[in-house]
Amino acid sequence: MKGENMDKLIITNNNFVYDKYSKEIETKYLNEQTFLQVLECVRDKIHQRHKLLTHPLSGSVKPNETPFKSIIISQKVQTMDFDGLYLIENSIASTKKFLNNRPTPHCSEKIANDFRLIDLSLIENAIKKMYCL
Amino acid sequence: MRLELGKIKITDIQFGETTKVENETLYVNKQELIDIAMQDDRLENVNIELARPGDSTRITPVKDVIEPRVKVEGSGVMFPGMVGNKVKTVGTGRTHALVGSTVITCGKIVGFQEGVIDMSGPIAKYCPFSETYNVVVVVTPKEGLETHIYEAVAREAGLKIAAAVGEAGRNVKPDEVVVYETKPLLEQINEYPDLPKIGYIHMLQSQGLLHDTYYYGVDAKEIVPTFMYPTEIMDGAITSGNCVAPCDKVTTFHHLNNPVIEDLYKRHGKDLNFVGVILTNENVFLADKERSSDMVGKFVEYLGLDGVLITEEGYGNPDTDLMMNCKKATDAGAKVVLITDEFPGRDGKSQSLADAKPEADALVSCGQGNIILNFPPMDKVIGMLDYIESQIGGYEGSLKPDGSIEGELQLVIASTIANGYNKLAARTY
Repeated sequence: MKGENMDKLIITNNNFVYDKYSKEIETKYLNEQTFLQVLECVRDKIHQRHKLLTHPLSGSVKPNETPFKSIIISQKVQTMDFDGLYLIENSIASTKKFLNNRPTPHCSEKIANDFRLIDLSLIENAIKKMYCL
Repeated sequence: MRLELGKIKITDIQFGETTKVENETLYVNKQELIDIAMQDDRLENVNIELARPGDSTRITPVKDVIEPRVKVEGSGVMFPGMVGNKVKTVGTGRTHALVGSTVITCGKIVGFQEGVIDMSGPIAKYCPFSETYNVVVVVTPKEGLETHIYEAVAREAGLKIAAAVGEAGRNVKPDEVVVYETKPLLEQINEYPDLPKIGYIHMLQSQGLLHDTYYYGVDAKEIVPTFMYPTEIMDGAITSGNCVAPCDKVTTFHHLNNPVIEDLYKRHGKDLNFVGVILTNENVFLADKERSSDMVGKFVEYLGLDGVLITEEGYGNPDTDLMMNCKKATDAGAKVVLITDEFPGRDGKSQSLADAKPEADALVSCGQGNIILNFPPMDKVIGMLDYIESQIGGYEGSLKPDGSIEGELQLVIASTIANGYNKLAARTY
């Protein structure tokens, strides 16, 4: 069922991504968790020797503006992904900086759906490229 | 490649019976432009409005800004791959530009997108398009049109209208003709053998919906880094499909008028030898970043560049590409200067970028987007204020009952644009 993408894992709090990909790619759905919690979950996974595959701060929408984030990591690997760890730690620091400026606003369901759609589009385009690996 | 750019000065804009330029005034036939856009039956409605410097007018949400231009001599058409199904290489011959005028597309695509242009008042000083004579195209899609398609329809409508308005300059004698020339590599290096060979690494936004750029009509996510003559860009070889983060999005106007290219040409043959542009992307997939930045480094080595300037578009994800390109260009033997805007928090004390490398030791700042501004009410709004609070830089309580806005500088189109076509900078003391 998971086919050629069986070595990938999506971490997301976006139900659009979960609904579209969970049958195809193993997906950890962090329902109702925050953008920062998604990043922290990915950081913990990298410490458990998963490899980071997509950029944690994809998209021009700043981390305190959108509630949604989807990130792809590998299933377990042998060696520690220090580059990935550096990137996720920097991304967490950057997210905290923006949240310190202003917390993520509560948005209407219509706007939330637009944020979900953009997050889905960003991850869709990364998934399309997976054949390259 | 040698391009003559004829600059036709525009100092007023009016509706008229025909679209033409006369005595520095651009006349546009409103219905003709509406009909061009409405050829696309996915649109419900299109309106054309005019906005002049000094008007009490606010334009929002702005999608793209385009300078009207026309190819007068030489191969190809303006915006190849995007307008008229033509993809011939551009960048040679002669092009006329209606300098001082723009075509602006405006409309709601997603609820948090795009920003504001004020034509007067205290915010006008942050935006280059507060000083231009603007033809504003307000597009409304048919009910239920899918977002990706709406984005494409609005983008195409703007480019088609800009090309049509540009035609008005075809037979007008320009006020000034500027010649830009870059020769084939060996010839160019031999022309100024004693001057340092300088290249420009131009990073294109390429992440997904509302985060895309097109090179001869090809989605930049799908390209591998390539090398181009700078004059191709002046003829619209690169067009913008990027809509998020108003302050630092690179509109099609900014591609046509790229200040890095302009300034490198000014010094070309004097204290440097500008040999060309390395074009690359900013993808989400880390393996793409590795591949693209490796190829950028390979170009720098292969071309024997002594120095490069790098610009990025966006924040976060692109910062990683910026740093990878910086490191690999340095490793390939070039001196590197980065140009970008900053998000160091409101007190300015946090890290400005989301990534860093020790090689990134020379950076030109185009300002920071987090400062809070007060936008006074305007008599007229082109577009709609409905989405101000959810636009990037706006927040709950931003829009006041009298139509004034409290919001971050990020709301203002091109206010901190990361290629330097703006008025902000940072200095160290």
